[in-house]
Amino acid sequence: MVDRLLVFSVFVVASCGLAYELIAGALSSYLLGDSLLQFSSIIGCYLFAMGVGSHFSKYIRDEDALTRFVDIELLVGLLGGISAALLFVVFAWLSAPFRSVLYALVFLIGVCVGMEIPLVMRVLDRQQMALRDLVSKVLTFDYLGALAVSLLFPLVLAPQLGMIRTGLLFGMCNVAVALWTTHLYRQHIAASTARLVKGGVILGGLLAAFLYADRITHWSEHGLFGDEVVYSTTTPYQRLVVTQWKDDLRLYINGNLQFSSKDEHRYHEALVHPLLTSLPWARQVLVLGGGDGLAVRELLKYPQIEHIALVDLDPAMTQLFSTSPRLTALNKGSLRNPRVTVVNEDAGQWLEQHSRMFDAIVVDFPDPSNFGLGKLYSVPMFRLMSHHLAEHGRLVVQSTSPYFAPRSFWCIDATLKEAGFNTWPYHTYVPSFGEWGFILAGKTKDFTPPAKYPIPLKYLDDDETRRMFRFPADMSPLKMEPNRLDNQSLVHYFEQDWHEVSR
Amino acid sequence: MDRRQFLLLGATAAGVSACHAFPGLEIPVRVDMPGMALGHQLRDAHAWPAATEHRDVDTLILGSGVAGLTAAWQLQKHDYRNYLLLSGPEPLGNTAYGDAGRGLRYPKGAHYLPFPTRSSTHVRELLADMGVLVSGEHESHPYYDEAAILHAPDERIWADGKWSPGVIAPVAAHSESARQQARFFRWVEQLKTQKGSDGLRLFDIPLVLSSQDDDWRRLDMMPFSRWLDQQGYTDSALRAYLDYACRDDYGAGCTHVSAWAGLHYFACRDGHASNGADGGLLTWPEGLGRLTQWMYNRLPAANVMAGSAIRIQEGQHNVTVDVLAGKTRMTIAARRVICAMPLHVLKHLVSLSDYGFDVPQQMPPHAPWLVTNLVLQGFPPEKDGEPLAWDNVRAGSDGLGYVVATHQWIREAMPERTVFTAYRNLPQFSPDAARKWLLAAKPADLFDAAMVDLDEVYGRPRLWRHAQYAEITVRGHAMATPAVGFLHNAGLAALRKQDGRLLFAHSDLSGLSLFEEASWWGYQAAQKILG
Ligand SMILES: Cc1cc2nc3c(=O)[nH]c(=O)nc-3n(C[C@H](O)[C@H](O)[C@H](O)COP(=O)(O)OP(=O)(O)OC[C@H]3O[C@@H](n4cnc5c(N)ncnc54)[C@H](O)[C@@H]3O)c2cc1C
Repeated sequence: MVDRLLVFSVFVVASCGLAYELIAGALSSYLLGDSLLQFSSIIGCYLFAMGVGSHFSKYIRDEDALTRFVDIELLVGLLGGISAALLFVVFAWLSAPFRSVLYALVFLIGVCVGMEIPLVMRVLDRQQMALRDLVSKVLTFDYLGALAVSLLFPLVLAPQLGMIRTGLLFGMCNVAVALWTTHLYRQHIAASTARLVKGGVILGGLLAAFLYADRITHWSEHGLFGDEVVYSTTTPYQRLVVTQWKDDLRLYINGNLQFSSKDEHRYHEALVHPLLTSLPWARQVLVLGGGDGLAVRELLKYPQIEHIALVDLDPAMTQLFSTSPRLTALNKGSLRNPRVTVVNEDAGQWLEQHSRMFDAIVVDFPDPSNFGLGKLYSVPMFRLMSHHLAEHGRLVVQSTSPYFAPRSFWCIDATLKEAGFNTWPYHTYVPSFGEWGFILAGKTKDFTPPAKYPIPLKYLDDDETRRMFRFPADMSPLKMEPNRLDNQSLVHYFEQDWHEVSR
Repeated sequence: MDRRQFLLLGATAAGVSACHAFPGLEIPVRVDMPGMALGHQLRDAHAWPAATEHRDVDTLILGSGVAGLTAAWQLQKHDYRNYLLLSGPEPLGNTAYGDAGRGLRYPKGAHYLPFPTRSSTHVRELLADMGVLVSGEHESHPYYDEAAILHAPDERIWADGKWSPGVIAPVAAHSESARQQARFFRWVEQLKTQKGSDGLRLFDIPLVLSSQDDDWRRLDMMPFSRWLDQQGYTDSALRAYLDYACRDDYGAGCTHVSAWAGLHYFACRDGHASNGADGGLLTWPEGLGRLTQWMYNRLPAANVMAGSAIRIQEGQHNVTVDVLAGKTRMTIAARRVICAMPLHVLKHLVSLSDYGFDVPQQMPPHAPWLVTNLVLQGFPPEKDGEPLAWDNVRAGSDGLGYVVATHQWIREAMPERTVFTAYRNLPQFSPDAARKWLLAAKPADLFDAAMVDLDEVYGRPRLWRHAQYAEITVRGHAMATPAVGFLHNAGLAALRKQDGRLLFAHSDLSGLSLFEEASWWGYQAAQKILG
C-alpha cells in the first residue's frame, strides 16, 4: 500500500517535471519569439540537466535516499512553482540577463527532476521489490504523468490559469508529495518535523502567490512604466498602456509617452486653436491620428464646426477612448459626440480612396520613428492632404521638437513647402515633453496668428500666441532638404537627434 | 480571396495544383504559360478554321506589349484614328500584372524603370503625359512624382546568415575585394559620361543612339567574363554580383553575355531626378504594368481587338493578316502593319528573310523566365539585420531574389496582405534545354525552383503560415539575350530600317530586353506611319 503511494508520487513528479519544461518553453516563445528555437533549446537544456541530476544521484548514500528525495521535492516545488512568475518579473524589470536567468533556472530544475526517479527507484529497491516490477512500474507512471500534462497544459491549464498560476499549481503538487512522503515515512526521514514545517511554509507561500498572481503581472508592468498601470493591451499595431499616479493619467504607445493629463491641454490647445480660430468659417474638419480624442475635444468647442472625421488606424485605441470612464472624462466623451465620425483605417489608404473636402486638417501622427511612420511626413502624403483641403483651408502638423530634434522639425517644414504649402512653424512648452513644435500650412499666404480666441482656454492667450510664432536664437530655423521617400532622411534625423538627447 | 475560393476559381484555369511542402501544409499553385499554346500551334503548322469575316484598316498593330502600345499611344495622341491594335495571346506582354483583390496588385514581369536618360525622349514624353514626370521634361534633372520613385529601404542582401544593405555581399574594408569593387564602380561611373569618336555616349539608352566608335564596339566580340578577367576583376564577391546583374537583366550569366552588353548595363543608366538621388528608379506596385495599362486605357474600344495573327502576307497594295479571334477566323487587310510581337513567333507568320533577317543565323537566343507571386496574409517574421526592402536578394543564389509589391504603398502600418514576387531564370541550362525542363516539370518542381530564395531566408513552414496561394508565370522565350556579337547582328539592323508596308517594333530589335528599347521601336514605327 505504502509502496503503491510512492509509485503514484512518481506520476505526480513526472507531471510536474514536464510542466516546468513546457512553461519555460511557452513563456520564452511568448516573450522572445522564435518558438522553434526557444522550445528546442529549452528541451535540450532540460534533458541534459536531468542527465546531470541522474548522474549525481549516485553520490547520495542509500540510507539518505528518502530524506534527499523529500528535500528535492521541496526545492523543485519552490523553484518550479515560482519559475514563471520569476521570469516575468525579470523580463519586466531587468531585461538584459533574461536569457541567463531562463537557462539557469531550467538547468537547476532539470538537475533536481533528474534526481527524483533514480532516488525513488532506490527507495523501492531497498524495500525489496523485484527489479523487473520496479522498473516497469516506475517508468510506466513516469510516462503516464508526462502524457497527462502534455495534454492538460495546452488545452486546459495555460488558457484557463495562465502561465504564472500553472507554474504555482505544479509547485504545490511537488510540495504536497514531499509533505505526504514525510508523513508516511516519518521513521525513515531525518528531522521529519522540521521538514514538515518547511514544506508547510513553502506551500503557504505558493498558495498566496497563486491567489495574488494578477498582482504579479501587474507589478511587472508597473516596473516598465513606473506608475500604476490602469489599462494595457496589445493590438495588432501597437502596445497601449495607460498609467495613473495620483491624478496624473498617462498614455504610452510602445513605451513612448503620448500625453500626461497634467499638461496635455497645452499640447492640444496649441495644436488646434491657432488653426481653427484663424478659420472662423470652417465647417468640416479632418483629424488624422489623434485616436485619444483630445484634439477633437478642443475642436468641439467651436459651435460652427458641423462635422469632424477622425481617421485613426487602431480600433482598440478609439474604442478605449470612447468607453473607459477615466479617459472619456478626460476627452469629455468627444469620440461619441454626434458631430464626430470615427474611421479606423490607415490614413494613407483613406486619403487615397476618398474624395471628401475639408476646411481644416489636424495631423496628429506618431513621431517619424520608423520607415512606415516616416512615409506619413512625405511630399506625396502632404500632396494627398492638399487634395482634400479647401482652397482657403489650412492644416496643422505635429512636428516633433524644434529644440531636441531641430533637423527633424525643419525637415518637416521643408517637406510641407515642397508639397506646395506656405508654412508658419510655431512651438510651445509642454512640461512632460519639453519644447514641442507644430507647423501650420496653407495653400494661400494670408495667415496671421490670432490675437484673441473666441472661446475660454486654459493656456493660450494673445501674449503666449505671439511668443509661439517667434523662434529665439537657440531654436533658429535650419535649412533642410525635404524628407524624400527615396532616402527617408527624416527617419534618420529623428533617430540621431533623439539619440543625442538621450545620451 | 481565400485559399478555397482561389482553388475553386483556379480549377477552371489550366494547371492548378496543390504543392505539398509538408504533409498537411499545402497552398494552391497556379501555373500560367502565356502564349505557349498559340506559339506551339504556329510552330507545328496547326490546321486553322477557314476565315469567315473580313475587315479593312489603315494600320494594324500586332501585339499589345510595350512596343505595340507605345505605337498606338502615339497614333492616338496625334489624332490618327484609322488603326487597330490586336492584343495577341498576352495583353500587356511582359509587363502584365495580377490583382489579388482589394487593390493588391503585383507584377508578372517587368517591374522598374531607371530615371530615363536624356536620349530617352520617348519615355520622358510618356511619363510627362502620365503626370509621373511633373516638370523639366527636357532638362537633365526632371522632377518626378515622388510616390513613383523607389522608396527607402531599397535593397538588401542575405549573406552569412544575416541581411546587409546593398546587393553585393559585404567585404572587409581595405581588402582586395573592396579595392576591386571600388575600381570597377569608378570605371563604369566614368563610362557613363564618356563619349566616342563620333561625339555620342559610349553606352546609351536607346541602344541605337550609342556611339559607333569601333574601339568600343569591338568589346561586343568577347564574353563579359573574359573582359573582366583581362582587366583583373577576379574577386569572387564582385563576380557573383556581376553575374547576378547579367542574369537579372539579360537572362544569362557573364560567360554568355557580350562584354559590350555587360558594360552597357552599368554605363547606360545616366538619368537623374531633381528630387531623387542618382541611380534611383521608378516603380509601382504592379510594376511597369502601370505604364502599359495607362497607354491601353487611352485607346478607344473600337481601336482594340482581342485576337492573334496567324499569318501575314504582303501583297501589291496591302498586307493581309489572318487573325484568330476566339473561335472565329478573319482576314484583315491593312495598308501597313506594325509587327510588335517577338521574333521567335513572327518567324512562323511571315518569311523574315524577305526583310533581310536570316532566321537560322540571326535569331537572338531567348532566355526563359519564371515569375512567382506568393500572396501573403501578413508578413513572415524577419531575421537579423536590415529590415525588409523593396528588392531582397541572396548571395550566391541561382534565384534573383524577390520584390515586395506593397513597398510603394504610403501606409502608416504594414498592410494586412502583401505579395512577394520571386524572379528566377535557368542559366545553368542552355535556353533549349531549359525549355525542355520547363515543359516536363510538374507544378511542384517549378514551385521548388521558384522558391530557392524564399525557402532559404524564411523557411517554408514560416511562410506557410501566411501564404494564401502562388501564381507562377512561365515564359519559355521571355527575352532576347545579348550574347557575344549581338551588336553586330545585321539581320536585326535590317528589320530596324524597314519602312515599307511591314514595320517591326519589339525589344528583340535591340537584341536586349528593356522597357525603353521596346517603347523606342514602337515610337519609331508610329513616327514612320505619321510621316
Ligand atoms: C521577368 C521579366 C522581368 C523584366 N523586368 C524588366 C524591368 O524591370 N525593367 C525593364 O525595363 N524591362 C524589364 N523586362 C523587359 C521588358 O519587360 C520587355 O523588354 C518589354 O516588356 C518587351 O515589350 P515588347 O513590346 O517588346 O514585347 P512583349 O512584351 O514580348 O509583347 C509582345 C506582344 O505580342 C503579342 N503577340 C504575341 N504573338 C502574337 C500574335 N501571334 N499575334 C498578335 N500578337 C501577338 C503578345 O500578346 C504581347 O502583347 C523584363 C522582362 C521579363 C521577362
